[in-house]
Amino acid sequence: MATIDTSRFAAAAMPNEQRLGVASTRVLLVLGLLVLWEVYARLFGRAGMVAPPTDVIGALGPTVFGDPKVRSAVLLTFVELGVAFLMSVALGIALGLLVGIGEIGRRGLFPIVLFLYAIPQVVLLPLVVLIFGLGPAGKIAFGVSHGVFPIIVNTIAGMRNVSPLLVRGAESMGASRLQVIRYVVFPHMVATVFAGLRLAMTMTLLGVLLAELFVSTGGIGYFTQVYAETFNPAPLFALIATLALMAVAINELVRRVELRFTRWKQ
Amino acid sequence: MTVDMRNGAAQPTQAVAIAIDRVSQRFPGRSGTNPMLALDDVSLEIRRGEFVCLIGPSGCGKSTLLNIVGGLIAPSAGSVRIGRNTVNGARPREIAFVFQESTLFPWYTVLENFRIALKFQGVEGGGWRDRAMAALRAVGMENFAEHYPSQLSVGMKQRINLARGLCVETDIILMDEPFAALDEQTRMVLGEDLSVLLARTGRTIVFVTHSLAEAVFLAGRIVVMTARPGRVKAIIDVPAPHPRSPDFMLAPQFSTIRNDLFALLRDEIRQTVAAMREARDGARP
Ligand SMILES: Nc1ncnc2c1ncn2[C@@H]1O[C@H](COP(=O)(O)OP(=O)(O)OP(=O)(O)O)[C@@H](O)[C@H]1O
Ligand SMILES: [Mg+2]
Repeated sequence: MATIDTSRFAAAAMPNEQRLGVASTRVLLVLGLLVLWEVYARLFGRAGMVAPPTDVIGALGPTVFGDPKVRSAVLLTFVELGVAFLMSVALGIALGLLVGIGEIGRRGLFPIVLFLYAIPQVVLLPLVVLIFGLGPAGKIAFGVSHGVFPIIVNTIAGMRNVSPLLVRGAESMGASRLQVIRYVVFPHMVATVFAGLRLAMTMTLLGVLLAELFVSTGGIGYFTQVYAETFNPAPLFALIATLALMAVAINELVRRVELRFTRWKQ
Repeated sequence: MTVDMRNGAAQPTQAVAIAIDRVSQRFPGRSGTNPMLALDDVSLEIRRGEFVCLIGPSGCGKSTLLNIVGGLIAPSAGSVRIGRNTVNGARPREIAFVFQESTLFPWYTVLENFRIALKFQGVEGGGWRDRAMAALRAVGMENFAEHYPSQLSVGMKQRINLARGLCVETDIILMDEPFAALDEQTRMVLGEDLSVLLARTGRTIVFVTHSLAEAVFLAGRIVVMTARPGRVKAIIDVPAPHPRSPDFMLAPQFSTIRNDLFALLRDEIRQTVAAMREARDGARP
């Protein structure tokens, strides 16, 4: 009976030469920019403002990771970020499900969520500090308040537009309401929720760093401020690079988890 | 209304599987307009092991009738009995559906889809894999058990939907234009397969189609419906045993029945088209 050439599915993946081309383009671009930066900094840059990449890499060792105070600051920020992100995920998905699962909740509460989301949260920072203090608790709270909204919004959005055909199909096979949610609604939501998670990751980092920059006396944010104010760009850039790596690492983690859940799309 | 109560392919001794008793269906009109009568006093008895085709102009209520029989919609009036029980909700142990579009879950593999269908039905525990593989083998798709639906063509997906309908081992399968999205060749092959499967398994099947040839080829009895509101206009017997080979389509009997069917439908379709024109022109200022 019907046979099919399964190789056409493998062809959806990129051929090897092309993948190599993409990778080398990317590396060359980054290297080129670094070289330009290096030349500019060495020839025209003012020492207190710009540091050439080689100096930044040099600073990474002794100044940043050599200084136990900075080292523990990096660790602190990383832990705060992780905790804030996990709390955002738990809280955001729970609230999103609560609001989005019923027609009444969605119509009644979703506009309120969107309204809160639209408020620039920096204005709430003094209040957050007042409630949670200057330490990690305040920074985590501020991170959560940034991270939770994209997750709530995407969780609610993900529950919409479930295929009525699939729901009817499930019901015709005898699925209960709970089974429809478990086997139809949840899998349908995954892609949208993960888009929210990645956005939330960035937002949580923003929240934590804002808190550190403005009020706290610890963490990466505090030290970037110190370095900037003392015209010490090399360790400043080194810290920023560390921060970027941190964000990339967590993003990658989220992506890996997402891949596990969306194998059917590949 | 000419209701012919002779039995088609079914044995005269066989019990009634589905009894549709004076079913009417009204849908609320759009804000303020009058409610719309989709089905008007439809009665029909279908015997065990019978293959009945529903045919009629678009919008005459075929899908609605099928959904009422399967318990997915409660009728405004009348009732449906399956065996001795009156239908008042989905009956997954007795009735399986196959729809025009695939209702396979795209996020599960073919095999997982079968497992979940059985779980919905309330069948737990071992043995599901053998059942699923047997059903897949019956439609020639056993090599695609680990594929995701997106990796399959429309025709292959519909084969698997059919296999899933068989796998749940219900006495009754309701099919709403299951082959409508397929090209004619695939459709003919699937029709043949279905005819073979049917002769082997003896399920009761109600099958909605717009294709005259498909109806004549598959059905023991063809129920012709009127334009909206849907009523039973006529019932035509196709007295040829299953499995039917493609040669059946070349038999004089085939074209005679097909022509009768067309004559019955033509007026109804004209009427539907006229009503559509009227509605369109009426909507104009
Ligand atoms: N849920 C609903 N609400 C309101 N009207 C409906 C609903 N379902 C069906 N209808 C109407 O009832 C009539 C019959 O619909 P149905 O889908 O049963 O027709 P059909 O015979 O299956 O048509 P087709 O051959 O095009 O599939 C149509 O006019 C349709 O607009
Ligand atoms: Mg229909």
